[in-house]
Amino acid sequence: MKNVKNSQPVIVSNTRGNQSNKAQPERKDSNKLWDFFCSVKLAVVIILVMVVACILGTVVVQEKTLDEYTARYGYGLATFFRYTQLTNVFYSYWFSFLLVLLCTNLICCTIKRWRNTFLQTGFVLTHLSLVLILLGGVIKFQTGVKGGVNVYEGKSVNYFLTQQLDRNGKLDYVKKDLPFSIALDDFILEKNEPKFQLVSFVKSSDRQKTLEVKVGKKQRVPNSDYRVFIKDYIPDAELKQEPVNSSDSPNNPAVYVKMYGSDDVLAEGWLLANEQNFYDDKKQNLRIEYLWMPSSQALDKAAASVGNEKPTVSVAISDWMQEYPLELNKTIKIEGSSYAIKFVQYAFNYGDKRPLEEQTPENPAVLVEINGPEGVESRWVFEKFPDWDKMHPARYKEVKITCSGFTSTRLAKNTVRVLQSPDGKQTLVHISDGKIVETVPWELKKKHAIAGTNRQVEVFDYYPSFDFKREVMRKSDEVKQPAVLVEFDGPQGKMEDWLFANSQYATWYKDKNFALVYEATGDSIKHFTSKLRIVENGQTVAEKTIRVNDPLKHRGYAIYQSSYDPEAGQFSGLQIVKDPGIPVVYSGFGALCFGVIFIFYIKPFLRKKLKKGVEE
Amino acid sequence: MSIINITLIVYILASVAYIIREIWMSAGTKWAAVGLLIVAFCFNLTLVITRSIEAGHPPFSNLYESLVFYACCTVFIYLIFEFTYKFRIVGAMAAVLSMLILFYATLQDDTIRPIMPALKSNWMLIHVVTYMLGYAAFGIAFVTSIIFLVTKPFAKKQQAAVSAEEKDVSPINFDKLSYKIVAFGFPFLTLGMVTGAVWAKKAWGDYWSWDPKETWSLITWLAYLVYLHTPLVLPKMKVNKSKVSVILACWLLFAFGVVNFTFMGLSYLPSASDSEHIYGSK
Repeated sequence: MKNVKNSQPVIVSNTRGNQSNKAQPERKDSNKLWDFFCSVKLAVVIILVMVVACILGTVVVQEKTLDEYTARYGYGLATFFRYTQLTNVFYSYWFSFLLVLLCTNLICCTIKRWRNTFLQTGFVLTHLSLVLILLGGVIKFQTGVKGGVNVYEGKSVNYFLTQQLDRNGKLDYVKKDLPFSIALDDFILEKNEPKFQLVSFVKSSDRQKTLEVKVGKKQRVPNSDYRVFIKDYIPDAELKQEPVNSSDSPNNPAVYVKMYGSDDVLAEGWLLANEQNFYDDKKQNLRIEYLWMPSSQALDKAAASVGNEKPTVSVAISDWMQEYPLELNKTIKIEGSSYAIKFVQYAFNYGDKRPLEEQTPENPAVLVEINGPEGVESRWVFEKFPDWDKMHPARYKEVKITCSGFTSTRLAKNTVRVLQSPDGKQTLVHISDGKIVETVPWELKKKHAIAGTNRQVEVFDYYPSFDFKREVMRKSDEVKQPAVLVEFDGPQGKMEDWLFANSQYATWYKDKNFALVYEATGDSIKHFTSKLRIVENGQTVAEKTIRVNDPLKHRGYAIYQSSYDPEAGQFSGLQIVKDPGIPVVYSGFGALCFGVIFIFYIKPFLRKKLKKGVEE
Repeated sequence: MSIINITLIVYILASVAYIIREIWMSAGTKWAAVGLLIVAFCFNLTLVITRSIEAGHPPFSNLYESLVFYACCTVFIYLIFEFTYKFRIVGAMAAVLSMLILFYATLQDDTIRPIMPALKSNWMLIHVVTYMLGYAAFGIAFVTSIIFLVTKPFAKKQQAAVSAEEKDVSPINFDKLSYKIVAFGFPFLTLGMVTGAVWAKKAWGDYWSWDPKETWSLITWLAYLVYLHTPLVLPKMKVNKSKVSVILACWLLFAFGVVNFTFMGLSYLPSASDSEHIYGSK
């Protein structure tokens, strides 16, 4: 291909090769520059530098506030990042320079190798398409805007907000006016129908697996020795439980306690020594506890002490373990490791919005901040669910944290302890303001007045082996609260249990290494749509129901459905984008796609057909 | 036994058959090896199809589904090459590669979860399918590069020995083959990236926002772009011809590492929590 055609004669003379250069020494320098900008070598170098820049731009978190950088990297490194613009790599001066250089290189390279043959279509298209895409990017950067606004149902807006980092590295919102207003007529949030799944968990191998729920199906849990047999399924089940005493030996001691006001029973129920062993009367600031002691000596000892333990948090990393008293906001450096922990907050009942004093210890939890090599992880740990962190994603999986001592900690103003031991010793202790005021033996069906309150306590019944007779009832045939009857089979033989989808607890196999959970897959969002109306000078000029993936376009602005009010579903989050560079970028995309297909598929095919070796 | 385990076993059998074929070089073993791999592919495809029917959405909403699909694409692309070029021993490693991908899938959480609204798009379908085909081709190129690097010290001896024997067993130019495979895969990668950008524009309002996933897919693209351009550069720098092919083969190993990092490793990045597209960060 010697037939070089070009619209720019100066360049043609330059590309004739080195022989002509020697004859014209005055042009040597400009030729050198031209060759430099034309070379593939430069292109490869620019691309490699871009690769490094891109890696840096994902390794260093981008566009955060100065405070966040200082907290993450320390002052020195944060300042360095700011000056080298590593905090905003992709919009930095040096990255822009790189892109300009690449663009120049692409243009020069294309001109130099221009042969105007059909086989070169792909080469020209791909190289110029990149220039187009970069040009489109510049148009977007110079004239485009992107922001968001929340609109409440029935309301309208004529502005939106854009986020910007100011000169001091602080996040700032800028209000931008729209040349029209957007009215939200209706917002619809559609949820997926609940689906349920049976998930198995093997503790020793830390593996979760979903099992098939099909009545009559026997299946082996993959990579384990456990088998699961689905025996029954009820789409809408209800559990009826009746307390029974299963034996006379004290396997699970429980007492039925009644609390009287003047004459009426104010509260009654079972207290289980091994589970729910207390009842709180808020009005009188009175707590009733049931404690089972292994011997009468132990009982006497317990009866004589107030027993006000402090809650503790224990931290374990592989074989190492240490217990710490719960002190808030004190950073504890863990020796021999790169971790430091801090207890930020605790609750007697997780998620309870009431003040701590009013909470009952139903679900005690501590919020722990773990500072490690990969940054800070905040994690809630629960006294009653010590394996919670094991079954949920955590950054520092090797750090195992549990807490205890919440349930026995809280002393009400008055505490009544019902103590009992296997040799028949029965003692009732009344503690008031942290002091023992009364110690008396108790008997079944006998009322005890609690001094200083107008309450009386009676132990009405005692079951040495408390158990439930459970019956599962079918409420309806609709899929509402499904339950499955599962037979577990493993190294310790078979066991059978009903699993309820509405239960929060896993059902463990005898060896405490294998558990099943039957749960809803979460009521995730299926669709969210906003019925929008564009109003100009009081006139509706456009209307559309937008959803994710389907925006409304008006006067160069595109309005996207981006989020929703997670609490009440009241407002719709809209994203508003104006990008005049889109046609340029999209034509670049088209050219790029067609170009690569041409180079790698069409051209080799044509070459084969022509049976000619055509060099680029 | 579940289909996934059967598929894994057939992959291993196919791999063994390819090795036996390399030793005996008979027509019978050739068809046994290819046949087994086709069977494995059918099983893998069944996995993909049953999964999408069961889940009610295209099977790439989480890492498990993507990996099963990835394994399927890898064999598919391999089989295309099997019938186009002389591939022989590559089949053994391609089968092992698919087997490893599928095995890695079995370690993932295979729970079916409802698909999020942004993923409900036809652009997403094209985007993922093209990307997976591209990745699969790069997987095969990775295999041929390894074979090239491993067999290079013996290549000359072999050539001498073979020329005396049948023509059928002529040595394969694994470095040229790698280039051809990358050239086959690169348009898919480009299409995947462009359709991804168009989809992002439709779903998030911006075709490119320097999200870590986007940035890394660009890094992958640039890595293979460098590979495609270096043969034009290195000879001019007076680098020895055999050294050029070694450098290129090593670069392909590195680039495939980048592919896998882009695909699965991004949750390890400190910027991952800012991304909307990374598996496991939700």
